[in-house]
Amino acid sequence: MKLPPYPMIELDLAAPFDQHRGTVLPEWIDWNGHMNVGYYVVAFDKATDTLCNQFGCSWDYTREKIGMTFVLEAHVTYDREVKEGDPLRITSQILDLDAKRLHYIHCMYHGTEGYLAATNELMLMNIDYETRRAAPWPEWAMDRLDKLAAAHEILPVPAQAGRLIGIKRK
Amino acid sequence: MLDSLPYALPELVTRAPLDTHRSTVLPGWVDWNGHMNVAFYVTAFDQASGAFMRNMGLGRRYVDDKLGMTFVLETHVTYDREMREGAPMRFTTQLLARDDKKVHLFHEMYHAEQGYLAATNETIVMNIDYASRRSAPWPVPVAARLEELWRTHKDLPRPAKAGRVMGLGKK
Repeated sequence: MKLPPYPMIELDLAAPFDQHRGTVLPEWIDWNGHMNVGYYVVAFDKATDTLCNQFGCSWDYTREKIGMTFVLEAHVTYDREVKEGDPLRITSQILDLDAKRLHYIHCMYHGTEGYLAATNELMLMNIDYETRRAAPWPEWAMDRLDKLAAAHEILPVPAQAGRLIGIKRK
Repeated sequence: MLDSLPYALPELVTRAPLDTHRSTVLPGWVDWNGHMNVAFYVTAFDQASGAFMRNMGLGRRYVDDKLGMTFVLETHVTYDREMREGAPMRFTTQLLARDDKKVHLFHEMYHAEQGYLAATNETIVMNIDYASRRSAPWPVPVAARLEELWRTHKDLPRPAKAGRVMGLGKK
């Protein structure tokens, strides 16, 4: 199997993937006194980096000019406010994948109080560095993605996945 | 429910869609892939929602006077094309639905000079009472403005990218 020109970290097959931790930074707060909607996605995007590192497609992947990952689509549910300095715990669950794309969902929890603060469902695509166009996942990534997807298959699909936005008519 | 607002409201723009908001991709919004990071599309769209709310009479004064706030409940973004540092953005905003506490908006982001569609954002925004930090009906003058806007927006065609459910759509 083709391996990347940099070491890969140990594969973590816990379901869901539960390594990412963060903190709500002062500059992420808006005039409503809570984390601004855009910075929830900043926090989630960092969790995507942690997840991509599991299959060798994070910062090293781009620094070595092999490839990049682009988000095609994102859906965020804002479930509860978080304030400056709050610790965050973000879990990631793989929902589906194909040769070029990955469909997954992050759940953000308050790190000590435990409540669900937000979810982020994403469609990520592998990009060739040179052409800046869609390309199949490298072998090393596909191998690990298959293992992660198999490990996550036992998980129920979160209610926040596959949502349609709308105002319910009474 | 607030019967009135203690400040002058701007002249209501009822164009369908709304197309007044403009912005620029800031240097701090660019990531290691050399383009606007996914999160800052959401920030840019949130500012377009802010422009929509100002048109409804809910600008900074609404918060500073401790009357209320607006919270986003849910948001869906399609990333259609990359935007680089300094790129000028033009937004259009369509009111898809409204009720006594919420609006359902659809924004489109265009490169203002090259004209291409860069992204879309479908979002639900809710009115919040300042003191209780819980949902509350729109202030009366805001509800009246929403109805006036709805009259010009209700017959717009529904955008193709609205109402999407994410999936790989395997062949």
